[in-house]
Amino acid sequence: MGVMRIGHVDLRVLDIDEALNHYVNILGMIETDRDDAGNVYLKGWDEWDQYSLILNPSDRAGMNSIAYKVEKDSDLDAFEKRIADWGVAVDRVAAGALHNCGRAIRFNLPSGHEMYLFAEKAFVGKSVGAVNPDPWPEDIKGAGVHWLDHALLMCELNPEKGINKVEETTRFLREVLDFYLAEQVTAGPNGEIQAATWLFRTTTPHDIALVGGPRPGLHHLAFFLDEWNDVLKAADTMGRKGVKIDVTPQRHGITRGCTIYFFDPSGNRNETFAGLGYLAQPDMPPITWTEDQLWRGIFYHVGEEAGSFTSVYT
Amino acid sequence: MDTPGATARPRFQVTIEDSGERFACAEGLPVLKAMTALGGRGIPSGCHGGGCGVCKVRVLEGDYRTAAMSREHVSAEEEAGGVALACRLYPASDLRLKVLGMMHRAVEARRYGLV
Ligand code: FES
Ligand SMILES: [Fe+2]
Repeated sequence: MGVMRIGHVDLRVLDIDEALNHYVNILGMIETDRDDAGNVYLKGWDEWDQYSLILNPSDRAGMNSIAYKVEKDSDLDAFEKRIADWGVAVDRVAAGALHNCGRAIRFNLPSGHEMYLFAEKAFVGKSVGAVNPDPWPEDIKGAGVHWLDHALLMCELNPEKGINKVEETTRFLREVLDFYLAEQVTAGPNGEIQAATWLFRTTTPHDIALVGGPRPGLHHLAFFLDEWNDVLKAADTMGRKGVKIDVTPQRHGITRGCTIYFFDPSGNRNETFAGLGYLAQPDMPPITWTEDQLWRGIFYHVGEEAGSFTSVYT
Repeated sequence: MDTPGATARPRFQVTIEDSGERFACAEGLPVLKAMTALGGRGIPSGCHGGGCGVCKVRVLEGDYRTAAMSREHVSAEEEAGGVALACRLYPASDLRLKVLGMMHRAVEARRYGLV
């Protein structure tokens, strides 16, 4: 019952050929479809639904919308009611309006980001099949990412004006969509400001993350890799191909993931994220990072801001 | 005879008016890339993809071309008036630039953790 996992992100790109080269040859995603509007649909080799990423040719970068997959069609009715009862406007979307998906519902998170929930999407299957599969496919390209793992959304945080969209959106995700809180950053004189959160529906520490900033946007999309050595190899590919790396391979304190931050050719930040972190469960006590240890949480080794983490996003 | 690594491409001088910083940028290289490769910090450096807007500059003098830039950060009017994103800015002569990007955010003290 309920939300299973991240379904897809609809991402704006400035040049579709450059974007495809990045997501296919460098990250190792597979093109599965195109539509008349010029959108291109991609999946990771380990994913079974037709796509987890939509590349939308545009004159600007950033995210159009994010979609999560629910287990049962009837979940959509239940969520429609709960979302409306919480005071958020929700629309019904006919089957097919989300490319090759069944009916869906659409609403804006309190942060302003557009979200869809859907229950069905065209099935393609994993590259290794489902009968006596090999552990990985032979024709893997670049980093060979397994799947779209999570997204981090920037939410407006302006305590002087009493605006905290991190807190509001976190409350919505927990109370209405039944997400669980894995970790949070608290800030302010008495730690009363919830400045960032990591929430899950799967058994990994996050399926979505929210961080406070001056304006809403997309901080990054993260793709899953098995382990640390895959992260190193992914960085080797990026070095060879001249990808703009924001933060070289290292460890997050928060979620314990091994990470690289880098940018796609339109300036959208990506992450390759390895390791399942830890077993996240509904009864796990949420972890809190205090403001003085915030950067240790984000970049565990140096404990300092690295790259352009908070000032640069699309 | 060519020395390995030597380039025959013309190099242009880029001057950042705000800081007086000067660096060479080979033809075919974006201004921001040339600056960061030399360790320069005069222009804020972000995504290097024309998407985030932090490297916004005004070209005060010189010829150049640009690659696709997010309309969120450079309007058509601004573009016509010499505004560009330094990561998508390719010099065709010596250039003189003024920084318009969000440099202040990088140095301003944060009050609430991340903002
Ligand atoms: S560095 Fe992001 S637009 Fe130039
Ligand atoms: Fe992440």
